[in-house]
Amino acid sequence: MRRPIVVCTTLSLAALTLAPGAVSSQSPASGWDPSAITGTVTLSGWESSQAEGEALQATLDGFAAAYPNITVDYQPIPGNYVEAMSANFAARDVPDLFYVNADVAPEWIKEGYLLPLDDRIAASGFDTSHFFPGAADVFKGEDGQTYGFPKDFNTIGMAYNTSLVPTPPATLEELVTTAEGLVGAEGVQAPLCLNPGLDRGLAFLYAQGGSLLTEDGTASAIDTEASTAAVQWYLDLFKNGLGKTAAEMGAGWCGDALGQGLSAMTFEGGWLDPAMTSTYPDIAYAWAPVPTGSSGSPETISFTASYSIGADAANPDPAFVLLTYLTGVDGMTSWTEGGVALPSRDDVPQPAGKEVLAGLSSVARPGAGFMPGYATVQKAFGDEFINQIQSGTYDAAPVVAATKAAIDSALAPA
Amino acid sequence: MTAPAAPVARERSAPVAGAGPGRRTRRVIVYALLIGYGLLMLVPFAWSVSTSFKTLPDVNDVSFIPDPVTLDAWRYAWETLDPPIPRLFLNSIILSVAVMVTNLILASIAGYAFARLRFPGREALFIVVLATLMIPDQLRLVPIYVLFNGLGLTRGDLQYVAVVLVLAVSATSVFLMRQAFLSMPVELEEAARIDGAGFFTTFRKVMLPLAGPALAAVAILQFQGTWNSFFWPLILMRDRENWPLPLGLVQFRLAGGFATNWPPLMAAVVMATIPIVVLYLFFQRYFVQGVAASGVKG
Amino acid sequence: MTIGGRSLRPDRRPGSNARSSGPPGRRSEAVAGYLFIAVPMALFLVLFIGSIGYAGWISLWDWNLRLGPEEFRGLDHYTRALRDPTFQRALSNALWYALLWIPLTMALGLSLAVIVNQPLRGRTFFRATFYFPAIASSAAITLLWILLVAPDGLFNQAREAMGLNPLFELFGWGPKQNWMGDQRTALLSVVVLNAWTTSGTFMLFYLASLQGIPNDVYEAAAIDGAGPWQSFWRITFPLLRPGHYFVATVALIGALQLFDQAYIGGGVNGDPNNSLMSPVLYLYNSAFQQSDFSKAAAVGVILFVIILSATLVQRHFLGRTPAS
Repeated sequence: MRRPIVVCTTLSLAALTLAPGAVSSQSPASGWDPSAITGTVTLSGWESSQAEGEALQATLDGFAAAYPNITVDYQPIPGNYVEAMSANFAARDVPDLFYVNADVAPEWIKEGYLLPLDDRIAASGFDTSHFFPGAADVFKGEDGQTYGFPKDFNTIGMAYNTSLVPTPPATLEELVTTAEGLVGAEGVQAPLCLNPGLDRGLAFLYAQGGSLLTEDGTASAIDTEASTAAVQWYLDLFKNGLGKTAAEMGAGWCGDALGQGLSAMTFEGGWLDPAMTSTYPDIAYAWAPVPTGSSGSPETISFTASYSIGADAANPDPAFVLLTYLTGVDGMTSWTEGGVALPSRDDVPQPAGKEVLAGLSSVARPGAGFMPGYATVQKAFGDEFINQIQSGTYDAAPVVAATKAAIDSALAPA
Repeated sequence: MTAPAAPVARERSAPVAGAGPGRRTRRVIVYALLIGYGLLMLVPFAWSVSTSFKTLPDVNDVSFIPDPVTLDAWRYAWETLDPPIPRLFLNSIILSVAVMVTNLILASIAGYAFARLRFPGREALFIVVLATLMIPDQLRLVPIYVLFNGLGLTRGDLQYVAVVLVLAVSATSVFLMRQAFLSMPVELEEAARIDGAGFFTTFRKVMLPLAGPALAAVAILQFQGTWNSFFWPLILMRDRENWPLPLGLVQFRLAGGFATNWPPLMAAVVMATIPIVVLYLFFQRYFVQGVAASGVKG
Repeated sequence: MTIGGRSLRPDRRPGSNARSSGPPGRRSEAVAGYLFIAVPMALFLVLFIGSIGYAGWISLWDWNLRLGPEEFRGLDHYTRALRDPTFQRALSNALWYALLWIPLTMALGLSLAVIVNQPLRGRTFFRATFYFPAIASSAAITLLWILLVAPDGLFNQAREAMGLNPLFELFGWGPKQNWMGDQRTALLSVVVLNAWTTSGTFMLFYLASLQGIPNDVYEAAAIDGAGPWQSFWRITFPLLRPGHYFVATVALIGALQLFDQAYIGGGVNGDPNNSLMSPVLYLYNSAFQQSDFSKAAAVGVILFVIILSATLVQRHFLGRTPAS
């Protein structure tokens, strides 16, 4: 077991200034009054689309109006976010508030990079009961503490070109039949634009009764019959010419493939909408749930990221005020109105046009962050999967073996 | 582009040229190969210059003369790179000049001592210096990062200090300087000593002025090496304001997202490479000397 | 040990000087010597020699990025790295890279050196031209390379125009081969890229060695009736043995340190599918992508041991000068 990072809940702020090397405080000033808190908060996240940038700016404008005493210094991090943040953690010089993607959250919490929030939650009385548990639990540590709140939520659904696909397939058998009917259609390179990895493949694994982990999460389940069959089914879509990756079609991502009419169906999240409206306004498309498979029940996956405060944040108190605004009702309403994501709270209205995706919230399982070391598992799966496609062998067994090895090593006691 | 390997090998001939009947034909073939290989060396650079004057849709046109010729890409690169190109240049100049100066000073004093002064352990210590050539940078990545990070050198302008410290003195420089001092006549040094000059005065006033060519080789080698260095700035520099040109170039490509905007990137590549090309045109002799005498650039 | 074909042992200073300065002079000379080397030596000891020890120390602990050592783990991180399929892949990539790049570049460098060592008109110009790609930065040149070997890039178009496509088809490479993007050819692309940039450097190394071969050996061979081809294989090649050793050593160390081109071409994961995952990239990835400094330090030590033993083995086979 690692040395407990949080040993100084009672450490006073005075002691901290004397010992700058010590663990940061998690004790907020007593008598929490957000309007009395002043200062500047550095906010960082990865660089994203223009639509996201505009939505965030609108939300920050709302914050500036509500909390004039706190200035927000927004500094997006271009390039590889994890690399840049690792260097920041090592230098103990971090933005006050920043995005944490679900796939790295377990490691960052375990390594003590993030500030535990329970004391400030208690002091401020911030109501956390409205977060969807599936999204919020990703940012809880093994110690039960909360290390961030989900900034939003995205479920994966099926986007389909309505002029090519009049009725969306409801089951995986229908999906294959529909796709077969579209092979050779004009302009269509592959009926399905598919992601060659777990980013979407996990949804199809679940749909066919497969899984990466056993029910209790302590062992690998990728080598079960159902899982292997699901991986083989996914590979066969490529083998039979029903699906291609965006790169194989010369598209940047599946949104481009759908927009350019190279594919008729793809599996994406809410971020597709602003991209389609702005770049491909002439393509008519609609959303449907991911078709059901042999498991018989509707399945999909969801992605989330949190706002978290750095363990070495210089201004944790104003950062917490901003955190509760951004993940509170007002901030999240403003953010999700931008159309790039769904709210991660049940008391924020679902933005218009997101009914199908929002309807999946209750069935979606986390698409990342549900196990430690998921990034390496994901990479092991994706690498061998691409290898199978590029070498033309389309064999699930090596994919399953590589993934199982990665899961076993991720679950092995550290 | 690997094609020339085999034919070149077949046409090798000894330095003493034969006078046989095939001599003329052989000459023609040798020149054809030399010119062909020379073109392989230069054409890609011509392509980068040509691309920088093109528009993005024309990038794949196989024509070295762009149509239309446009400066848009240069303007775009100048305005868009972050940090801006003048700042990247300033950072590269600061690092390269600093590393050049520290190497000149430290390598000449060490080279002189290893060549001319006798002290116990000299040979062993020199072997230690040369052995550092065997210590790969990757082994040093983590310890140096942890050390410099602990000293606070990975933040703000101190990042310059971090990179300069790592590159401050290289075994190659010491080796080059030592070779230079070894080849100098003893008489001058003795004359200075008889006149009562101390060791440092003898070094600085008598011996150092004679080491001009070696100093030039060290200066060129280190300036160029630092100007081009990617690894250590990548490891040690968190704040982009202090980045040298190579990091700025690579970041600019990443910032483009799915599709690289090639003309401005090539404009930036050309800008970053011009200073070194100019140096090479003027000081080619020292480039060659520095590399041939020790050659650690690889 | 020789570098560039020269002996490392300092020339003995003429005895007269040693005799003229008595014991007191000798002591002050020693003091001066230590003072002269103090600062450079301190840097060498701390930043090079010391870092070996520090890397070893870090590799034995669970080393938290923020807080330093947390728990002593012995050699766990070494076994963890060696068992990781990605690290094994990185090692096999390094082996392939070395096997392809070293002989190719040495052959190119030697051929160029032998040719420009002849009394040819314009040989200085050719020498300068052949070294030209080596002066540009790895970042600039790799970015340029990515453009050149793109599916619609100059290289693919040029080979089509020259009618070379049937030759490439033999290897299964289509006319629009995505050299850096296809896992089967990404490493090969980097091999060719680096052969292109370093052939001039190796040429310079070999030139330095060639100049050490006295002309009378060739004259003797010419009298014996040896043609240029025989005299190259019978005289030049064997006499260049110290040069081969030096170039091969530099090349091997360079091959095991492949990083810039892999990182710029394939990102932090050596995409596609680990095909550009080099050992140093793996180390970098461990440190800054996985926040695992302990494993990164262990990988550094493993690579150091590999480089050291490979150099010693190479020295054993190539390093001895032939009995003449």
